[in-house]
Amino acid sequence: MTGRHFLAVVAVAQGALLVALIILIILNRWFRLRRRARVHPRVVRLNSAMQRWALGSTDLGSVLVHLGRLPIPLAVDALVSWSARVPGDRWRQLATALRGHWWARIVRSNAVSGRWWKRLEAARFFAVAATPEDTSSVLKLLHDANPAVHIAAVATLERVESAALTTAALERLPRLAPTVGAYYAGMLRRSRPVVVQLLLKMLQRSDDPALPRLAEFAGRLNEPALREALTALGAHPDPEVRVQAARGVGAFPHPASIAILTRLVRDEAWAVRAQAVRSLGMIADRATLPLVRAALRDPEWWVRIRAALALTRFGGVGRDALLQDEHGPDQSARDMARLVLGLSPQALAEYAA
Amino acid sequence: MRELIGGGGYVILVYFLALNSFYALLLILSIPEIWEQTRLAEDDDFQRLMQSDALPPISLLVPAYNERATIEASVTAILTLEYRNFEVIVVNDGSKDDTLDRLREAFDLYEVPRTYPEGIATRPLRGVYRSRSRTRLVVLDKENGGKADSLNAAINASRFPLVIAVDADTLIEPDALLRLTRPFLLGRHIAAVGGTVRVANSCTVEHGRVTDARVPRRFLPGVQVVEYLRAFLFGRLGWNRLGGNLIISGAFGLFRKEDVLAIHGYRTASVVEDLDLVVRLHRYLLQRRVRYEMPFIPDPVAWTEVPESGKVLARQRERWHRGLLAAMWTYKTMLFNPRYGRVGLIAVPFYTFGEALAPLVEVLGYVITVAGLALGVVNVGFALLFMLVAWGYGMLLSLWAVVLEEASFRRYRRLGDLLRLVAFATLENFGYRQRTVWWRLKAFFTVWRYQHVWGEMTRTGFEAAGGAKARRADAQG
Repeated sequence: MTGRHFLAVVAVAQGALLVALIILIILNRWFRLRRRARVHPRVVRLNSAMQRWALGSTDLGSVLVHLGRLPIPLAVDALVSWSARVPGDRWRQLATALRGHWWARIVRSNAVSGRWWKRLEAARFFAVAATPEDTSSVLKLLHDANPAVHIAAVATLERVESAALTTAALERLPRLAPTVGAYYAGMLRRSRPVVVQLLLKMLQRSDDPALPRLAEFAGRLNEPALREALTALGAHPDPEVRVQAARGVGAFPHPASIAILTRLVRDEAWAVRAQAVRSLGMIADRATLPLVRAALRDPEWWVRIRAALALTRFGGVGRDALLQDEHGPDQSARDMARLVLGLSPQALAEYAA
Repeated sequence: MRELIGGGGYVILVYFLALNSFYALLLILSIPEIWEQTRLAEDDDFQRLMQSDALPPISLLVPAYNERATIEASVTAILTLEYRNFEVIVVNDGSKDDTLDRLREAFDLYEVPRTYPEGIATRPLRGVYRSRSRTRLVVLDKENGGKADSLNAAINASRFPLVIAVDADTLIEPDALLRLTRPFLLGRHIAAVGGTVRVANSCTVEHGRVTDARVPRRFLPGVQVVEYLRAFLFGRLGWNRLGGNLIISGAFGLFRKEDVLAIHGYRTASVVEDLDLVVRLHRYLLQRRVRYEMPFIPDPVAWTEVPESGKVLARQRERWHRGLLAAMWTYKTMLFNPRYGRVGLIAVPFYTFGEALAPLVEVLGYVITVAGLALGVVNVGFALLFMLVAWGYGMLLSLWAVVLEEASFRRYRRLGDLLRLVAFATLENFGYRQRTVWWRLKAFFTVWRYQHVWGEMTRTGFEAAGGAKARRADAQG
C-alpha cells in the first residue's frame, strides 16, 4: 500500500467518523428529549403520591409503587430530596417498608459492587433509608476508598443510632482531609454521648499522631465532660496538640482552664501563645488582664493582634488598657492598640471571629 | 533542494503523526474523566456537603483597572455567590478613571488601617477600605503596578486559605465556587483547581448572571465557543489523567494560598501571569517532592466575553502565544527533566513542541508543500489528500468536544444552538485555523520586546437584553 492509498483510507474513515459523530450528536439529543418526556410524568406522579402520603391522605403502598416505576438512580434522588421534608417517624415507616421492596434490595446489593458509582448509589440510599439491619453494609461503605462513597455513607449517622458506625467514623476522622473531617465532625456531633465516651479514651493516647485532630474535634464539641481531658493536653510535647488544647479550654470559664492558659500564654511556640491569649479573651477573667496586656508586646504579630482583640472582650477595663498602650512606650504595642482601636465594631467582630 | 524539501516534509509528517496521536490519547482519556466528573457533579450528598460549614473559606481576588463601566455590577454579582464563607478583595490598581469613587459610592466604603503583614512585595498601597453595606468586601487602592502586582496585593490582604483570581468582566455562576471546592474534598493535597470558562457573547445576562446560554450567530465568537469547549472539555480533562495540567485559567482558578505565597505570588514581569504561576507551582512542589494534584473540573462555570473583531482577537492570541513562548523559555530546565516527573517528561515537552512551536511547523508545512509542488517533488493528489486528512482530524477533535458537551452538561438547550455548534466545529478548519496560526506566529517576533501591563479596556457593561454587550480590547502587550 502506498502512502497515497493509506491517506485515502484514513480520509474515508475520517469522513465516516465525522458523519457518525454528527448523527450521534443529533440522536443523543433526540433520545434524551424522548426519555425525559417518558420519565418526567412518573416523577411528577411520585412527588404527588409522596406529598399525599406525607399529609396522611394516602397509604405507603402507593408511594412504593411509584418509586418502583422510576429508574433506580431517579428513585434514589427522589428519596434523598423527600427525606428532608417528611417527619422522622413517618420516614422511618417508609425505610422499614423499603426493606422488602425489590428495587431497594437491588440498591442494597450494590454496596459490594466493584463499580464506585454503584456503591455511591447504595451509600446515598442508606443515608436516607437505612435501618439498623443495614449497619454492616454501611460499615463497609464507611471504609470505602472512594471519598464520594464514604462521605455519602457517613450521613447515615443522621438516621441510624449505632455505636459501631459512630466508632468507625470517629476512628476515620483524624485521617481525613480537613474539609471532609469537618463534615464528619458535623455528623458525629449528632451522636454526642457515644462520641464523648470514645473521645475520653482516645485523648489519653498521648503518642497517637492523630491526637491534634482529635483534640481539635473535642474542643469544637464544647462538651463540659471533655474539659479535664483537654486541660491535660495543655502539657503535651506536641505544640499542635497544645494549640488545640488552648483553643478547646477557652469555652470553659473554669479555674483549671485559666491555670493552663496562664502557662500556655508563655509557651515557646507562638501559635500556642496566640491561641491561649485568644481563649483568655473568651473567658475574660479580670485577673488575667495583665497577662493579656503583656502579650501586646509579644515579638510575633499574630500574638499581638490576638492580644489586642482579646482586650476588647474585657469591656471597659480592656479598652482602657488599649487606650493606655496606644500612648505607651512600646512601639509594637502602641501600633497594635492603635490598629484595633481604629476598627469599626463590625470589622472588630469579623476579626475576632 | 529536493532532498531538503523531502527531508523537511518527512519531519513534518512525523510531527503531525506524533502530535495527533497525542491528541487522540487526550481524547480517549477525557472519556472516563468526564464520566466520573459528571457523576460527582450530580451527586446530591456532595452538594449537601458543599453547602455545609465544613467548606474551606475562600478569598476572591478581583483586580480592577479603569473598570468604571462594569465594576459595580461585577462586584455585586460576585458578592451574591452561593458560598458560606468568602471575602471579596477588589484591588483598584491606580485606575485613571473613577473606579474607586464608583466603588466607594456603591458599597459605602470606609477606610480602615492595614491589619496584615505584607507577604509579597507590591507597589505602595494607598488605602484599605471596608464596606458598611457588604461585610464581605474589602477594597485596596494602590499605585499602578499591573495585574500580577494587584493580585499579589490582594493575596497579602486575604485572610483565607484558598484564593481565586477573578477578572472583573467574568461572570461566575452562583454555585461555581461550591463546585470548584470539590477536589479539596476528594484529594489530600490540591495545589490548585481550574474550572470551565465559557463564551458569554450572545447569552442573555440578567443581574450579572447568564440566564440563557446561546451560541453566537456570528462566525468569530461562534467558532470560539467550539474552541473553548475543545480546550476545556477534552484537552484539560485528558490532562487530568496525565497529571500535568499546565494551564489553569487566570479568569477562574482556585489556588491554595500557602503554595502561592511560597513561590512569592504572581511574577509581575510575566506576559501571561496565570500560566507562569501554574508552571512555577509545579516546579516548586515537584522540587520538594510534595505529592499534589492540580485538577481541572468541568462543572463550575465562569462566563467571559470573547473578542468579536479579528483585530482584537489577533492581539489576544498573539499575547497568549507570547506568554506561552516566554513561559516555556523561562522554565526550559524542566523540559525532559525526569526530576519533574510527568510534568517534565510529558506536559512541558507537549506544550513546547506541540503548542508553542506548532504555528512555526504548520507554516513550514505550507511552505514546503508549495515549494514541493512547484519543484514537482510533491504529488498534487498526495498534498491535497494530506491536507484533507489534517483538516478532517481537526474537525473530528472539535466535534468530539461537542459530543462531550452534549453527553455531559448540555448548556445549549436549543436545537438551533446545537446545529450552530456542529457547523462551527466543521467550518473552523477552513480559514479560521490558518488565521490563528498567523496570529500566533507573530508572537515569535514580539516575544522579546514586551512585558505585561494592563491593556486598554473599552467596556459598556453587560446588559440584560441582547446578551453580553461589552467590547473588550484585550490586553496590549
